[in-house]
Amino acid sequence: MFPSRAKGLLDFCMAALCLWAAYHHTPAGALVRGAVAWATGTRSTARPLLAYYDGVSGTSVSEPLLAPAVPLARPLTDAEALAWGTHLALKGLEPRARQPALTLATELGVSSTALLDAGEGPAAARKLHEALAADFPGEEARLAALFAGRVPARYALERVRAQGDAPTLEQLAQQLPPGFEGASVGAAQAQALATAFGLAWPVHEGARVTSPFGERIHPVLGTKKLHTGVDLGVPIGTEVVAVAEGVVRRASEDAVNGRVLVLDHGRGVTTAYCHNSELVVAVGQRVTRGQLVARSGNTGRSTGPHLHYQLELAARPMDPLKFRSSVRTVARDAP
Amino acid sequence: MQWGPVPEASLPPRPPAASPPSSSFVADVSRFLGGFRWAFMPLGLLALVAVGVHSAADTLDDRLVGLVDRADAAFDGLVGRSDFTAPMVEWVSLELRTRIARVLALTWELAADLVLALPALGYRETRAPVPAEAWRAALGNAPARPSWRALWTRCLRRPTPMRWLRPLATAAVALAGACAVARLIQGTVYLSWRELMGDGAADVLARGLAVGALVGVMGTLGWRAVLRNLQHADEACEAQGGKGAFRRGWLGCAVVVPLAVAAVVDASPVLSFLR
Repeated sequence: MFPSRAKGLLDFCMAALCLWAAYHHTPAGALVRGAVAWATGTRSTARPLLAYYDGVSGTSVSEPLLAPAVPLARPLTDAEALAWGTHLALKGLEPRARQPALTLATELGVSSTALLDAGEGPAAARKLHEALAADFPGEEARLAALFAGRVPARYALERVRAQGDAPTLEQLAQQLPPGFEGASVGAAQAQALATAFGLAWPVHEGARVTSPFGERIHPVLGTKKLHTGVDLGVPIGTEVVAVAEGVVRRASEDAVNGRVLVLDHGRGVTTAYCHNSELVVAVGQRVTRGQLVARSGNTGRSTGPHLHYQLELAARPMDPLKFRSSVRTVARDAP
Repeated sequence: MQWGPVPEASLPPRPPAASPPSSSFVADVSRFLGGFRWAFMPLGLLALVAVGVHSAADTLDDRLVGLVDRADAAFDGLVGRSDFTAPMVEWVSLELRTRIARVLALTWELAADLVLALPALGYRETRAPVPAEAWRAALGNAPARPSWRALWTRCLRRPTPMRWLRPLATAAVALAGACAVARLIQGTVYLSWRELMGDGAADVLARGLAVGALVGVMGTLGWRAVLRNLQHADEACEAQGGKGAFRRGWLGCAVVVPLAVAAVVDASPVLSFLR
């Protein structure tokens, strides 16, 4: 039914373009690349299949997120938090992915060695942000410029504006052609880390940390398990507030977590609040920083009144205390 | 019956003699490539639909995370009622929920590829009827050739979900695919040729090529993908017949319709290439 045509240059070019796009940018293409690599005995260059849905705020597949090695001496301003996030994300990137940032640093007169140094890194990253602030006043566009380069970021920004969308990091990353995946992941990690540094505390500052993050013998099960958050010893009915603005992703009750609340703050940052006596917000509700979201309790698998506070960056649990300036006294008698 | 030379007046007019081959190099290459249409056209259609399906699926994974969250909350509430099943609450962590959502997105995309892209491999082009065979028509025993008109009539008179939803979904994902290809071209051309040509020239060229690719892909492959899917849906419905045709392909339609909506709403920024 389709009439046959004698000529085929245009059709061939368009088909070749579509094949190129599908081969390099779809999971189906990744499957074919994997099969070709298997058949030829070579190593496939395709990303893992699930990485095609990461966007930039999702789980990164190769670069682990880093937390500061030592506790922060004082609370960070927003600019300092961004600089810390940038420094830590750069350190976690593969050398090839961090190359645009190092090139930019050299162009702007910032030492690329200092940028990766644990002591001088945050200050060097801040200088970079300040140098880019005039051209890229928006934080997300500036992060894109820092990790991908100024020209690609400007191009991506113009494309996002042409689409009429907000210039989020995810939207900006979508406009960049192949080769910028690592830079996009780095920028997203920097943003997630910076957001984590700026989080408030869910209960009053004086609350004692009764069980820290990390491996421990579970007080109920008696087995060694990763404690994925921190336990804050507070009386039943203590006000629990949102640590940043976000959307309630989960408000439910079960036998282990008790009455549990999960807030999605965007930018790959999620917080969870477990064992509450009462939840005062519902799924889908938007909350502001400092808003009352729950009252602490002793529900679920708990041996005493406390709040289990959990911080997750890119869906991975992180120690919330690493992103706080003051170190609390830690009691080993877990509730 | 008398056999003899047939009077010339009763024969159909002779087709004009083929024009002499063009000496243009481009025309020669085009003619040469035309000989391989049987290979690259089905693959091109398949690739276009696959790119469009992925563009649409990519916009849905965040919504899937929310759905998985709700399902997990319901599951936790259920298993948490008994001490025996309570440990199952810890089966699904946030990281695992995110992973499950992505596995669902991947499964959804591959299922949509099976439904929408795979029929493209059945794309065949047919030669126009040769005048020498016109005597068959005169004798009335010419084989019935399927036509678009007949297919369209069947769609109107015997509408089924498969006959309508599959081609429409294909149109949506083909448009999203064309936009994705155009975006890739614009970014690649601008960023790689900017230093060579200068900012302004590279921008104009990149935009021009992106619009050209968008129009070219839709003009050469897009409509063919839609019609090929319509053809495939019609064949499937005809094979089933009656009420069976109406019931045929519901599952596939349920898989592709949400993706088609996402493709139109989130993944087809057509006007952005003109701004």
